[in-house]
Amino acid sequence: MATISQATDQAPVTPSLAGHRDANTRKLARMGWIFTAPALILIAAVTIFPIIYSVVMSLNNVSVSGNGFALNGFTGSNYSLVFGNSTWRYALGFTVLYTVVTVVVELVLGTLIALVLERLAAGRGWMMALLLIPWSMITVINAELWSYIFNPTYGAMQEIFGAVGLGHPNFLGTPTPAIASMMVADIWKTTPFVAIIVLAGLVMLPGDIYEAAEIDGSSGWDTFWRITVPLLRPTLALAVMFRVLQAFGLFDLPYVLTNGGPGTATTSLAVLGYQAMFKNLSFGPGAAVATTTALLVLLGCLISLRTFRVQVGKENA
Amino acid sequence: MSTGASRRYRAVGGVFAAAALTATGLAACGGSSGGSAQGSATSGTIVWSASPIAGAGSTDTRTVLIAAFEKAFPKIKVTLVSAPTNTDTNRATLATEISGGSATPDVFMGDVIWPAQFGAHQLALPLSKYLPASYFAQFAPGLIQGATYKGQVYGSPLFEDQGFLYYRKDLLDKEHMTVPTTWEQLAADAQKLQKAGLVKYGFVWQGASYEGLTCNYMEYLTDAAGTATNATYSKASLDSAAAVKAATFMRSLITTGVTPSSITTFQEPQAMNVFADGQSAFLRNWDYAYSTANTPSTSKIVGKVGVSPLPTFAGQSYPGYSNIGGWNMYINPHSKHVAADLTFIKWLASNQAQDILATKYSEIPTTTAVRNSQTVISLNPVLAIVGKTRLVPRPAGTPNYPALSTAIYTNVNAALAGSVSTSAAMASAQSQANSALSTAGGGL
Repeated sequence: MATISQATDQAPVTPSLAGHRDANTRKLARMGWIFTAPALILIAAVTIFPIIYSVVMSLNNVSVSGNGFALNGFTGSNYSLVFGNSTWRYALGFTVLYTVVTVVVELVLGTLIALVLERLAAGRGWMMALLLIPWSMITVINAELWSYIFNPTYGAMQEIFGAVGLGHPNFLGTPTPAIASMMVADIWKTTPFVAIIVLAGLVMLPGDIYEAAEIDGSSGWDTFWRITVPLLRPTLALAVMFRVLQAFGLFDLPYVLTNGGPGTATTSLAVLGYQAMFKNLSFGPGAAVATTTALLVLLGCLISLRTFRVQVGKENA
Repeated sequence: MSTGASRRYRAVGGVFAAAALTATGLAACGGSSGGSAQGSATSGTIVWSASPIAGAGSTDTRTVLIAAFEKAFPKIKVTLVSAPTNTDTNRATLATEISGGSATPDVFMGDVIWPAQFGAHQLALPLSKYLPASYFAQFAPGLIQGATYKGQVYGSPLFEDQGFLYYRKDLLDKEHMTVPTTWEQLAADAQKLQKAGLVKYGFVWQGASYEGLTCNYMEYLTDAAGTATNATYSKASLDSAAAVKAATFMRSLITTGVTPSSITTFQEPQAMNVFADGQSAFLRNWDYAYSTANTPSTSKIVGKVGVSPLPTFAGQSYPGYSNIGGWNMYINPHSKHVAADLTFIKWLASNQAQDILATKYSEIPTTTAVRNSQTVISLNPVLAIVGKTRLVPRPAGTPNYPALSTAIYTNVNAALAGSVSTSAAMASAQSQANSALSTAGGGL
């Protein structure tokens, strides 16, 4: 895409040579397509085809057998089954709550950490490297480690809570603590990621504005809210979008820590879709879960874009 | 900001949209797996998919079985593909491979609860079309019934498993107690041992939100003279008085302190650890628990462990019901070596193979002959009491069993966690189970 538009942009428009240039541009464009075709075909094969196929599946009576998938005609029943299912409605509420809470907390903590890091004169590299350890660990391994920490019999968290007189909560075995524990594990892992993105944004902010603010006698607090935050908006929007996309697809943590329990308290949309498809082998309803989830993520991203008032392509207007 | 930057944003936005939509791609990955047939080029070579059974390296059960088979049938080679230990992941892998048309694995070891689902989706060959009734008659009663769907047998039993009651002989002796024969007595005895300060917990079992809780629940349910569904699997009966009684008793174990409240997160390893650590007087577990509890490196209670059939509710005849677990052998319908597959499967049911499983690995054999052999019975107390137990299968005769089981274990687990009353939990289980039974494929 970039190659093509660049070629178009750079073609100087001189009326007398228009014909020539057009032919040249077309040639360049054709070459662009030829060069990108292998990549585009690969992308189409591994993303676009599955996307379309799963939308088609969600609208069909799908049967899976030893002879493969059979699409037995259009139906809306997969969606009505999904929308009418109380576990799906719960999973939707849980996933939204989980996304909102973790993203907000991670954004606040991440920004605070980034502000500290930006002011660090020495050792910033070391601090960043240390910070990135949780983020660089595979989520499933993270989750396994947290399962030891939250273990009800010999877990560290039990001991800590007991030592400070908070009793011995059943972390993963009662609904509210299980949800909270999962959020803690997520925030621990992902806050560094947000911090790094925000730090990158902070470093790129123009210094002269801050000098001007200082000369005008602006307080630190005012400078933060009136200069730093507005200038950081595109960066924050980026961080939020990445996080919303990822948090909404919550799977690894409940899969390892609770299997969606206790009851269905930590059953996310992705866990539900996985169960429908790969345990029950009901691919139609499972595809309907996946499709609605993807549409909801898109909606979530649009909402977060609006929240941060980042008008794509109109930043200079 | 420059226009270049804003163009970059537009591109980034596009990436987000694509990433978001990739989530839907999950649905389609089963459809496109190829029909590669590695291992089938040399005739007489079959691929066996099996999750780890016991042992490791040269003592790995699967390797030992293959070596013995290849000695008996030198012209057939068996290649092992180690399957995931998580039974759900194992099923998902096999279902996507086979529905994608793959000719391998030729034979696979699968859970005893799979026949209906695999039969209904034609993911396994009906063995009864190839093997005579006399072949299936050699197995212990109930096992073939569990492997049958719509009149066809899909699985050949490899080894069995079932629930047992493990108890601390030393503690019962100290308090002059006998092994409990009713659940009520077990709870009372456990409390006495706890009050005497001999042990922290009374009784541990599997109460997490997963398949194992369905196994545990089925035992109490059957002891209370209840069933999960009617005989034709058209209607659930999980809101019956017996169903509520079973769940209420399980919850009462927690409220009386006999069972720790963290039982709602216990699968087999957690329960085993607590018992082997000497922290519980009683344990409900499968066959392997006896040897684990008597292995010094994993246990503090070596030599202090007894095993018996499970108790039942007062007023019912002893012993209580033990849920059936274990593994069958299935054939991939796309296999190009069905004759060799059948030879292998038949050999796995032979005295030689069943003896290896029982004597070397303490697995419960599936054929009546080896189950009743004196060598096997004298080997360890668990194998000795197999014949005295009463078995109950899970309600797996419907292809919608996974959704039915989810309805059972999520709701019983919620009741155990105390977030809903047992009667409300079982009412919810009933409605979810009915919708699972009435929806093609079980739905969500």
